[in-house]
Amino acid sequence: MSSTFKLQRHFILIFLTALRGESRYLELPDAADHDPFPLFSANLKRELEGEQLYRRALRCLDMLSLQGQFTFTANRPQLHCAAFFISEPEEFITIHYDLVSIDCQGGDFLKVFDGWILKGEKFPSSQDHPLRTPERYVDFCESGLTRRSIRSSQNVAMIFFRVQEPGNGFTLTIKTDPNLFPCNVISQTPNGRFSLVVPHQHRNCSFSIIYPVVIKISDLTLGHLNGFHLKKPSAGCGGVGDFVELLGGTGLDSSKMMPLADLCYPFHGPAQMKIGCDNTVVRMVSSGKHINRVTFEYRQLEPYELENPSGNSIREFCLSRV
Amino acid sequence: MRLPLLVSVGVLLMAVLPCPPCRAFLSRGPSPGARQIPQQPQPLDFFQPRPQPEQPQQSQPRPVLLRMGEEYFLRLGNLNKNPAAPLSPSSSPLAGGSRPSPDEAAANFFRALLQQLQLPRRSFDSSARPAERGAESAIGVHQEATERKRRSEEPPISLDLTFHLLREVLEMARAEQLAQQAHSNRKLMEIIGK
Repeated sequence: MSSTFKLQRHFILIFLTALRGESRYLELPDAADHDPFPLFSANLKRELEGEQLYRRALRCLDMLSLQGQFTFTANRPQLHCAAFFISEPEEFITIHYDLVSIDCQGGDFLKVFDGWILKGEKFPSSQDHPLRTPERYVDFCESGLTRRSIRSSQNVAMIFFRVQEPGNGFTLTIKTDPNLFPCNVISQTPNGRFSLVVPHQHRNCSFSIIYPVVIKISDLTLGHLNGFHLKKPSAGCGGVGDFVELLGGTGLDSSKMMPLADLCYPFHGPAQMKIGCDNTVVRMVSSGKHINRVTFEYRQLEPYELENPSGNSIREFCLSRV
Repeated sequence: MRLPLLVSVGVLLMAVLPCPPCRAFLSRGPSPGARQIPQQPQPLDFFQPRPQPEQPQQSQPRPVLLRMGEEYFLRLGNLNKNPAAPLSPSSSPLAGGSRPSPDEAAANFFRALLQQLQLPRRSFDSSARPAERGAESAIGVHQEATERKRRSEEPPISLDLTFHLLREVLEMARAEQLAQQAHSNRKLMEIIGK
């Protein structure tokens, strides 16, 4: 075999390998094949599985951040109830109706909302969610058990319910499913680290932290990394192209928050900003032409840091709204 | 042990102290459990104001201070109005003494919160529906479709909750999650140790 042919063959192999690396996929073990305890005996596995489902009563106003089965039973007329669900950033939430005993004709209701809504402000905002606001509500009294399992589009969801007759109620099972590329996230904690990746998707994604924080952006990639060359970055900022913006405000809706900073070009190395707002959002606007990624860390601002702002900090806007 | 007692006393004081605007706002008129034949039409008309002819229509939002030892306020009513300024912190009935168990603290917190929290009501034009009262059992398909369309155009169902309270319930949920994780780990170690 001639050396030229060998070289060509090697080049083709390398080229194909490199191209395969460009496609992003994750191998998830099949549910049937996935065995977290391969060394355990069958009895032990059965015992573990029986222990795993968490159950408790659901309160009229509640917040749940774990999987399990939750039962609400009205001991008196409960007219205005809501329960928030939140999971890890890289998970969807699935709400499954196990049992529903409410009097829809009598005025009871049970509605699932895809996201969170507080004081009329929604997360994700209407700009960042694929569904219109009315479509984000799934009303049990209208759909019945035809939609018995409802999956959220992000790591948060909530239900609104009214049960007037004592003894009536419902049972839900909350499960989580993996989300490979989380787009809209509310952080469970005031401290953490996250990489928001939007691969060739024409969508806007927000990461919301409902605390005053100092945020440190360590890496921003806007564009397609092909080999050793970074293609010309998209013309971001000015609301055009791909870019990342930092938002601050006092509500959940990112479309009603004040832009504090725009990041339009890729960079490496920390850029830090203190944001003393009730809600801080890192929002990525993507055209779909590129693979965009932003990595950041955040920690909650201490009270003394709120009292004495210094350096790169923005708090006057938020404080003026309180 | 003093803690639940103090919380109960605080809640009782709030109920007993004269506060006519608060009482008027929290009054729901005929109890839903007493459901005389429902006067309201279409059971799917959520948040329709209860018939309270002896009271003027509530049009002003009223902030309510919830004494849980910290500074809270809850906005009730019109979502578009600006919130009132929070009042100064009161002495904490929860300060000092032994802390209750996490479940008891959570139950106390939510019980007290629910007494003050109320979802906002949609403003229905009740004057336009005198003919529908008493016809709730005979709603036609056409009316239901009309109602669905109208509901889709209405302001969304929402909850008035400050960020402060949202963080509180979020932290309680996180504590529950960690406790459950610890419990699962303990069970796992027990099983492995057999």
